[in-house]
Amino acid sequence: MLDETLVPTSVRLRDEIEGAGINEVLAQLDEDLIGLKPVKTRIREIASLLLIERVRQKMGLLGDTPTLHMSFTGNPGTGKTTVALRMASILHKLGFVRRGHLVSVTRDDLVGQYIGHTAPKTKEILKKAMGGVLFIDEAYYLYRPENERDYGQEAIEILLQVMETQRDDLVVILAGYGDRMEKFFTSNPGFRSRIAHHVDFPDYEEKELGDIAELMLKQQNYQFSEGARRAFDEYIHLRKQQPLFSNARSIRNALDRARLRQANRLVADLDRELTATDIMTLEESDIRASRVFSKTES
Amino acid sequence: MRITQGAFSFLPDLTDDQIAAQVQYCLEKGWAVNLEYTDDPHPRNTYWEMWGLPMFDLKDAAGVLLELKECRKHFGDRYIRLSAFDASHGWESVRLSFIVNRPANEPGFKLQRTEMEGRHVQYTTVPYSADKPEGQRYK
Amino acid sequence: MNEAAKIPQDTHQKSQTVRGKARYQSGVMEYRKMGYWEPDYVPKDTDIIAMFRISPQDGVDAVEAAAAVAGESSTATWTVVWTDRLTATEKYRAKAYRVDPVPGAPGQFFAYIAYDLDLFEAGSIANLTASIIGNVFGFKPLKALRLEDMRFPVAYIKTFQGPSTGIVVERERLDKFGRPLLGATVKPKLGLSGRNYGRVVYEALKGGLDFTKDDENINSQSFMHWRERFLYCMEAVNRAQAVTGEIKGTYLNITAGTMEEMYARAEFAKQLGSTIVMIDLVIGYTAIQSMSHWCRKNDMILHLHRAGHGTYTRQKTHGISFRVISKWMRLAGVDHIHAGTVVGKLEGDPNMTKGFYDILRLDHNPINLQHGIFFDQPWASLNAVMPVASGGIHAGQMHQLLDLLGEDCVLQFGGGTIGHPAGIQAGATANRVALESMVFARNSGRNIVEEGPQILADAAKFCLPLRQALDTWKDVTFDYASTDSPDFVPSVAVSN
Repeated sequence: MLDETLVPTSVRLRDEIEGAGINEVLAQLDEDLIGLKPVKTRIREIASLLLIERVRQKMGLLGDTPTLHMSFTGNPGTGKTTVALRMASILHKLGFVRRGHLVSVTRDDLVGQYIGHTAPKTKEILKKAMGGVLFIDEAYYLYRPENERDYGQEAIEILLQVMETQRDDLVVILAGYGDRMEKFFTSNPGFRSRIAHHVDFPDYEEKELGDIAELMLKQQNYQFSEGARRAFDEYIHLRKQQPLFSNARSIRNALDRARLRQANRLVADLDRELTATDIMTLEESDIRASRVFSKTES
Repeated sequence: MRITQGAFSFLPDLTDDQIAAQVQYCLEKGWAVNLEYTDDPHPRNTYWEMWGLPMFDLKDAAGVLLELKECRKHFGDRYIRLSAFDASHGWESVRLSFIVNRPANEPGFKLQRTEMEGRHVQYTTVPYSADKPEGQRYK
Repeated sequence: MNEAAKIPQDTHQKSQTVRGKARYQSGVMEYRKMGYWEPDYVPKDTDIIAMFRISPQDGVDAVEAAAAVAGESSTATWTVVWTDRLTATEKYRAKAYRVDPVPGAPGQFFAYIAYDLDLFEAGSIANLTASIIGNVFGFKPLKALRLEDMRFPVAYIKTFQGPSTGIVVERERLDKFGRPLLGATVKPKLGLSGRNYGRVVYEALKGGLDFTKDDENINSQSFMHWRERFLYCMEAVNRAQAVTGEIKGTYLNITAGTMEEMYARAEFAKQLGSTIVMIDLVIGYTAIQSMSHWCRKNDMILHLHRAGHGTYTRQKTHGISFRVISKWMRLAGVDHIHAGTVVGKLEGDPNMTKGFYDILRLDHNPINLQHGIFFDQPWASLNAVMPVASGGIHAGQMHQLLDLLGEDCVLQFGGGTIGHPAGIQAGATANRVALESMVFARNSGRNIVEEGPQILADAAKFCLPLRQALDTWKDVTFDYASTDSPDFVPSVAVSN
């Protein structure tokens, strides 16, 4: 209940935003994630909306807690989990969730193996997520119409109910491929109506993926030689055309393999004097040895 | 009568917000919270029925309150108590326990005396409700 | 400044131990030359270490005094004896290895003495104390002597059973968690008949206390035979249990003239279904250990009243610090011990008292000079003792008590229950409401030290007995300087 005497008659948004520390979170997001312009714009919009909602709440202009559940759609490796983490922090700073932690799950964490197993499993996850954000990756796997005995339906019902009745207690983010999420929402309109914000995560540009690779290397005290960076750009171009490309995740995997090859190369000559630069640097050969190149040649 | 087991029985019945604040205190200490119910509140009835398992790794009291509401739906006519377990070495037991639900009418206990040798009396405490079978005691 | 203080003392003397043939020539030799001063000795993990405060007579060298204490509390006598040569004498000699001047107390020194574990019988406080405090306290070259602290090796601790229930099991048995327990000593302590005495017990327990207690000198006098007391008290306990649905207890004091009589009283208490019995410190260490063993065998909690301790714990220069008594009693295996209130009517410096509570309750005591703890002491999972705060405390101090003493203790409000203007039951209720409100407020995140009086005032709105209690005792405090105060005070550190 609002105490009449505490209702402010005017506010300054700068004070509100600085008081909550939102700018820091958004700056952190910029730093963490390369590119993703449209996503970042969308998050800023949502943050602004939430800020205004908070002010409205303070001034007594908002009755209920607004629906805050979201869907994040996009291909794997496009930064959905990272953005969800930041979103949890924004929601916490603005007072829409009490603790601000993120619980990330998939179907297996929610749906049981036998009768009577699903409800307690789903509830346990919900209880752990309360006060924070529940992030359900590849949410459409919850729904398997081809199997009429599927326990997923039970989880869906519990989720829907909590999303409706306990809006104060947690925010749910459903995530997955865009097209499959669309199908999921069509067959489960209950979810669509409870989702307030849709955020679409586009695939990265080739140039962005290259920059991501450099950032990842830098974080681990590695670097590309000039030739290696050129080779890696080519690698990205080729890899994107192959199946199962998953954006930043594929980049991370490619770099892990390149580090393996670099180590192999260095160990091959035990008598060589190595500088720190030698040990930090991935050479062109470390990249070009990838099977992605050999496939195109054959 | 009013059974005074638990840490807060001398206070007016707690509101859900007050219960949530106590639960949050427990969660922040890293304790697992559980709910138990009974219609046999004998002071030495240690094992009340568990409402599910203790809730581990919760961050927020709302999860416990969700279960409490559910438990009240089924066993709102009985005693429900909330306990917090501390698994740390040297304690490994309950840290806090208090009643969060009571029957509308608490019938209390009869004290039975058996006269023994000399002036020795043997005492037995019997809940008035225990005459009826479990589940029908506070109807 | 006294005379002794004017004489410069060298506390950094090298070892002067005489070796070879000369060591065993008949006659008198200084203790420091006999091997009782070994400044280079590094105590072994298995040594028992004692730290004494020594005040040498004028003209007596501090190191020689420390060596004398080491000698007289282990192998030495006033003259050289050839029979030493039949033993591994170097092992059995206690060794003074460090002497420090006491800060701000001229003429006083802290002497650290290490004892080999083989000097002691396993599991016997009597043997331990016969060695450490047996002879030396009357030693002429010292004006005064105080045993300040001891360090026990784990190997020695493991030879004691310790408290049978300790804090956790006691709470489990009583089904009481998350708040201090509440008690009251029946007053007047002398003169009530058994029947009248039981009335006090019933009213107090019904009103909300967990325990009532016999006082230290209630045994079996002409006005009340012990069996009368036990019978009426247990009627009261059982009645109170039935009207509250809560487990209640009364500490039945089984202190008596002989062990046989104590066992008889303990057996009767057990037959009557009591959860707890009580003994006084004056029955002696062996009797205490015996009763601890009896209690473990008979599912009984053992309450110890520290009757008599003030004769030797209170003065800073002579006697035994209560922290040492606390350690001995934890080893001996009592479940409850009176350990001070800080705010009440009896001696208790806040820092010293915190030290006692830590010794009784923690599994590991790190060195804490401010609290008077000179040694790092692991307790090897020996059960913790429940400290009891008793003497001149009342409901209006609840926030201070909870803040200073924590929740694992028994708060005993004797006068603060029985002296309530509306009666004993009202007094008990006032204390219980004050306690529950304070714990509840603390858990809810409120600052009880600052908001304590307000929290109590709010609770008094729904609890008339509490309002009456607060009005009656609002200004009662016992604000006297402590005699047993810390020697080390934190100094303001200058950083940057």
